[in-house]
Amino acid sequence: MRIKVNKEKCSGCRLCETMCSLFHLGAVNTEKSAVRIEKDDLSTSMNSPFICRQCKNMKCLEGEKAASEAERKKFIWAGQRSSKCPFQALNLFGGKSYHCDLCGGTPQCVKVCTTGALVMSRR
Amino acid sequence: MVLDRKIAYVNLSDGSCEIRKIPMEWRRKFLGGRGINMHLLSKSYASIPDPFSPDNPLIFGAGLLTGIPGFGSRMNITSRSPESGHLGDSNMGGEFGAELVKAGLSHLVITGKSKKPVYLLIKDGKIDFCDARKLKGLDTIETQKRIRTRRGGHKVQVACIGPAGENLVRFSSIRSGMKSAAGRTGMGAVMGSKNLKAVAVRGSLDIAISKPDEYCKTYLRTLAGLMKTKWVQALGKQGTPVLFRYSNALGFLSVRNNQLVTIGDKGPLLEAEALEPYSTGMIACFGCPVHCRHRFSMEKGKYKGVRGEGPEYASIGSLGTKLGNLDLENIMYATQLCNLYGLDTISTGSYIAWAMELYQRGIIDKRTTKRSLKWGDGKTIVELIDQIAHRRGFGDILAEGSFAREIFGQASRRYLLEVKDFPIEMTDERLPKSFALGMATSTRGACHMRSRPSIDAVGLPEAVLKKMYGGPVSDSLSSYSGKARMVWWHELMNAVSDSLGICRFQSVFSSPHGLGYNHFSRLIALATGLHLTPAEIKRTGERVYTLERLMITGEGISRSEDTLPERYFEEPIPEGPSKGEVVSREEFSRMLDEYYRLHGWDDEGIPRNKTLKRLGLSDEN
Repeated sequence: MRIKVNKEKCSGCRLCETMCSLFHLGAVNTEKSAVRIEKDDLSTSMNSPFICRQCKNMKCLEGEKAASEAERKKFIWAGQRSSKCPFQALNLFGGKSYHCDLCGGTPQCVKVCTTGALVMSRR
Repeated sequence: MVLDRKIAYVNLSDGSCEIRKIPMEWRRKFLGGRGINMHLLSKSYASIPDPFSPDNPLIFGAGLLTGIPGFGSRMNITSRSPESGHLGDSNMGGEFGAELVKAGLSHLVITGKSKKPVYLLIKDGKIDFCDARKLKGLDTIETQKRIRTRRGGHKVQVACIGPAGENLVRFSSIRSGMKSAAGRTGMGAVMGSKNLKAVAVRGSLDIAISKPDEYCKTYLRTLAGLMKTKWVQALGKQGTPVLFRYSNALGFLSVRNNQLVTIGDKGPLLEAEALEPYSTGMIACFGCPVHCRHRFSMEKGKYKGVRGEGPEYASIGSLGTKLGNLDLENIMYATQLCNLYGLDTISTGSYIAWAMELYQRGIIDKRTTKRSLKWGDGKTIVELIDQIAHRRGFGDILAEGSFAREIFGQASRRYLLEVKDFPIEMTDERLPKSFALGMATSTRGACHMRSRPSIDAVGLPEAVLKKMYGGPVSDSLSSYSGKARMVWWHELMNAVSDSLGICRFQSVFSSPHGLGYNHFSRLIALATGLHLTPAEIKRTGERVYTLERLMITGEGISRSEDTLPERYFEEPIPEGPSKGEVVSREEFSRMLDEYYRLHGWDDEGIPRNKTLKRLGLSDEN
């Protein structure tokens, strides 16, 4: 299961970022979110969401000892994993990276995405 | 915590800055945003009559719930208005308010005047004064780009002025992003008078929520309910242009400076569907699930390569029909120009429309205008916008807004449609009597956002209206019956939503299914820990509105200024679906009586002492 992105539909409202941080941390901070919207707001007005693709072959863990299942599902990861993601999908802030744990099965970002830019996908 | 956000007092004359806590008492009485802004402005309003005085405070205020998962994340910018000379206040969406909150602040009070052009840079509560000499004369997009490049990239949010604000055009806006604007009442000119080119902000602080789990659940439930409403669904697809069809079909559109009120079967030229070929998607302000804003691109034709966001219904009316201009591409381009220069599209259209009618009637001629002013002449409209922003030629006169009456002469006054020296907008209110009263009583002068009970145009059954408004209200748009109650009710609701940072389109505005006081009470409690009953929150709306009223009545505004343009009383609508509609002075006067009574103001519209006492305003002003 993963979250699929249709960036053409993204309105750039950042509700996903606010809910992600609130759900996991009890505080709103769009920097500490596993989903991140990059905006080209002074030119094309296009918005691009980035979020973990739940790759089978996790490049982000390359070079590490085999990570436990529990570690793989964590929300807050070490910062260096961010640079290994080929899709820039691990949000980096304050030396930590924020990884999508699918909120344990019901991702909050999908629930607040009213445009359908973020949808659940079996694969 | 949400309630920990602070207020910064910045003095541009001496470069000082002080950051203070916001007293809990202020939050309980005024919530945030517009409410606290008014409390702050009221302290000096009476003693500073000149809007361009360095002492006139320019106040930024984010709503109490701005920056968290919500229903819009808006802010207000408040000052004495250089456009009207009276109360200035404008509400803005986009990302700036939320970023300010992320930086640990919710309000800025900016006074003084910098010797050199300057901009403020706020990073997580720390404020620096930066040299803006190299930004002088730049448009609002280029200004933002330059500041971002130099100060930390695309996440820096900038509220700035363009050439119009620098040149003290009285109806200049403050702009952020591609299109967001504190457009009304000339807040950009106040900023220009202070030599303040921009305020840039970057925040990365946590906003702790009082009860996060419950807030998430309540938020999701409330969101799901809101998204089911037809109103929100229509806005999400077509944006505010969806409203054009109604005003044209019913006959309350401003056409040729309100000489007409409909463009009849030419409506489709400017209706929402006409925008579709240019729209490349819908986008949203921070924290808004509705996404009512078009992203557009013009791929061919005269304006090939122009892209932007919008245009909104208000701009289509103001730069379109009001000027007899039915060329949508020209309207889009004119809107974009106003955005770049930092001009309010509504006022810009209104003053050009006034000049066009004066020219039509021979009250002014080429000796003044240096050109012919023909209705619907898109080329002239675009050139005038350029002239206004740069105060060149005839544009230098128009840049004075209603103050140009002194130049155009006595005969010109009748054709400037205004209330409290602030121009009527993209609509004509002779048919919808609730709209008419709301225009007349708005504390910032003619304004469709202070109340505008657009539910009146929906035609709900009277039983539903009675339940909603707590008293009998006619279901007929042209009736006067119960409309005072409607206006009063929406004035309070809108004062609250502006104080919370919630968008009109998500509170009870055009749909009875929007968020109301019960929702607000629960969201505030879970987010902030501040427990206010729905009745207490409604009283906050009363308090904010009466405080605004107190400020303007303190400078002599009263019943005689709560009125409408002569045209509304004396000229029945000449043709179209609302033909014959006019506002009866007697009926209007009766509406005012009831309206004052509901507010607890006397027959002249002055807040009564017992009302001030009840609202805890005895010490204000």
